[in-house]
Amino acid sequence: MDFSFSKKEEKFRSTLRSWLEENLPEGWLEGKNVITKENAEYWDFLRSWQKTLYEGGYAAIAWPEKYGGRNATLMEEIIYQQEMVRANAPQLINYVGIHMVGPTLIQIGTEEQKEKYIEKILTGEEVWCQGYSEPNAGSDLTAIQTSAVKNGDHWVINGQKVWTSFGHVADKCFLLARTSSSTEKKHKGITVFLVDMHQEGVETRPIIQMDGEHDFNEVYLNDAIASDADIIGEVDEGWKVMIALLMHERTGIGGQLFTLEQQFKDLVKMTNEVEEDGKPLIKDPFVRQKMVDLYTRSRGSLLNYYRNLTTTLKRGYPGAEGSMDKLLVSELTKEVFSYAVSLQNHQGVLWKEDALVDTYWQDKFLHSFGMTIGGGTSEVQKNTIAERILGLPKDLGR
Amino acid sequence: MDFSLSEEQEMFRRSIRKFFDQHGQTSIARDVVKGNTTSLDKVTRGLVELGCTGMTVSEEFEGSGLGSLDLVPVFEELGRALLPGTLLETIGFAIPILEKYGTDEQKQKYLPEIAAGTKKMTLAWLEPKKGYNPDSVGVTASAEGESLVINGVKSLIPDGDVVDTYILLVRTMDGKDGAGLSLVLLDREDTGITVRHQKCFDETQRLAEVTFENVRVSKSQVLGAMNQGWDVLQEGLLHLNGALCSLMVGGMDRIVEMTAEYATIRVQFGQPIGRFQAIKHGIVDMKTDLETARSLSYYANWALETDVDDKKAAIYSARAFITEAYIRIASQSIQIHGGIGVTEELDCQLYLKRARYYENYLGSVQQYREKTALALNW
Repeated sequence: MDFSFSKKEEKFRSTLRSWLEENLPEGWLEGKNVITKENAEYWDFLRSWQKTLYEGGYAAIAWPEKYGGRNATLMEEIIYQQEMVRANAPQLINYVGIHMVGPTLIQIGTEEQKEKYIEKILTGEEVWCQGYSEPNAGSDLTAIQTSAVKNGDHWVINGQKVWTSFGHVADKCFLLARTSSSTEKKHKGITVFLVDMHQEGVETRPIIQMDGEHDFNEVYLNDAIASDADIIGEVDEGWKVMIALLMHERTGIGGQLFTLEQQFKDLVKMTNEVEEDGKPLIKDPFVRQKMVDLYTRSRGSLLNYYRNLTTTLKRGYPGAEGSMDKLLVSELTKEVFSYAVSLQNHQGVLWKEDALVDTYWQDKFLHSFGMTIGGGTSEVQKNTIAERILGLPKDLGR
Repeated sequence: MDFSLSEEQEMFRRSIRKFFDQHGQTSIARDVVKGNTTSLDKVTRGLVELGCTGMTVSEEFEGSGLGSLDLVPVFEELGRALLPGTLLETIGFAIPILEKYGTDEQKQKYLPEIAAGTKKMTLAWLEPKKGYNPDSVGVTASAEGESLVINGVKSLIPDGDVVDTYILLVRTMDGKDGAGLSLVLLDREDTGITVRHQKCFDETQRLAEVTFENVRVSKSQVLGAMNQGWDVLQEGLLHLNGALCSLMVGGMDRIVEMTAEYATIRVQFGQPIGRFQAIKHGIVDMKTDLETARSLSYYANWALETDVDDKKAAIYSARAFITEAYIRIASQSIQIHGGIGVTEELDCQLYLKRARYYENYLGSVQQYREKTALALNW
């Protein structure tokens, strides 16, 4: 058992930390001049942040050097995430491009596709979104109805996508469409297309969540066009592409766990600063009990992650344990923010500029409900854990 | 970064597992419930031969000089088998405080024999109708020349009627908040000791109420400094709770395993019940409790071995979480087993009773949470 980092890893951390100190916007580390989504320039700001990362060689560290990456080890990826959380760095606008599309193209894309997309993914010149979910295909992704039909030398795509993050700012979409429906197995007959978002047949509409934020979009495809060259992998074999893509998610939900660690520290700070009847909340015996419970379970989920990471390091690829990490971190994050609001007594309902402490707590509370849904619901994660780790029989109908 | 037990530690686990498999795992505890200790004695002897009792005794006193992490697989396997006895108190408590606070004479007297399996130790702290507050310790030891004279009653002493030596918490001076308390090594054959067996719903455990009437013991039997026994006790409890975490995790591991097995073979409505999500998700909740418990336990024992800053918080918080999680999953396993789960025939009940036995053992969940909060400077 050894929690230390190697010299090389420590060096990577300190170099990245200094780089961040120099390259983050002025005042960022002190929490000043932080630009938020309400600001009209937010998305341009994110694009320029990605450009900065690219120029520093920090846009896609896990990619092979040949494609502009650093060939980073898994531990370096972990450190990267820890440092990004520590610096509260701006979100990566091209997350889908960097973590999903790029690695998949590098692994199974054609030379032409690599030539066309890779560099623009790195620089942020082309932002990607993911066209997976549909109104009738949420947890059951095999139920997608968006169709792609060959017409002469091109494919005509019709259907609707939903919950598309970055859809309104994306230039390209990694889109799943049904190209054949005659087969017995529902996961057959799906094809992955690389679709241009700036075409007449693609229309994007915003979805506003209960926290007032706009993270997601609906994407309507009305005779959108793609060519054979825009297919990744084989026609009807898109499911294999998705499996290959999942194997690149080596670090799992580490970033969320490091974020939760930080958020819990913020909560401790809040309970020290906020007083009720002249006494800091943290001095209340009931608050102390609950806070220790949350502390312990947050620590436990982080330690689980390190244990699973050890397995991944030894085995060479991630396994179903990631579902447990995802289940725990999402459920816990919800609980932490729910408690943070509850602690503020009835004043917890105060929002935005009237918030008792900072509307951050109210916003994050409202936002946290999506965490146990997006990226696979808690129920789906539990099915995965039950079937793949505990060896219980598969549900009928799947 | 390597958050796992070493290959040697896992290998040792496999040999202990194999050893317990050969002796019927929980059947040893079941024999004890029936009043037959033959298999327990044999297995305890075997564990000594495997080197379990001497692992953390220093080489100077005929042990192997290993650390807290090496004990993790041992206690997990003991917990899995629900082995009765006081290995927890002997290895988890007596050895570390003897090593740290014992005089040469005390070490020489006890450690080689503990390693050889010929001395069993237990902790005598609680008193009838009292809690774990240091101010409520009523058993007194008054000085008479080079001796202490002990009077009073201790309750709920594990194996109180069969151990060789009590580590007894007594009041040697007036004081508040733990001041004036001392720990005394008291051999059971000393005169003036009356033992009364206490019935426990975890019938795999033996408990006794012990009355001390003018028991005379040499002052040289005081463990650690006189009047500072409370601090020695706290240090010992760190080790004991580290070991207890492993014991509980071992039991939890077996519960999850047997519940998942049952759900794949029990057929209702024409299919294994493990196919129903209500069952499936119930077992997954148990599994996540188990894995969280295991991670917290490993870290706690690592912290103990390496003496890192967050050692206390790690151990106290692990103890609090795991105690509750053990009860939760033991209860859930009965529900998933259905009718057969409430019977004496299945092991579910044994694990549930053991989980409840540990619930308030040497401190409640609330107390350990509060200790965590203090350790975190909250």
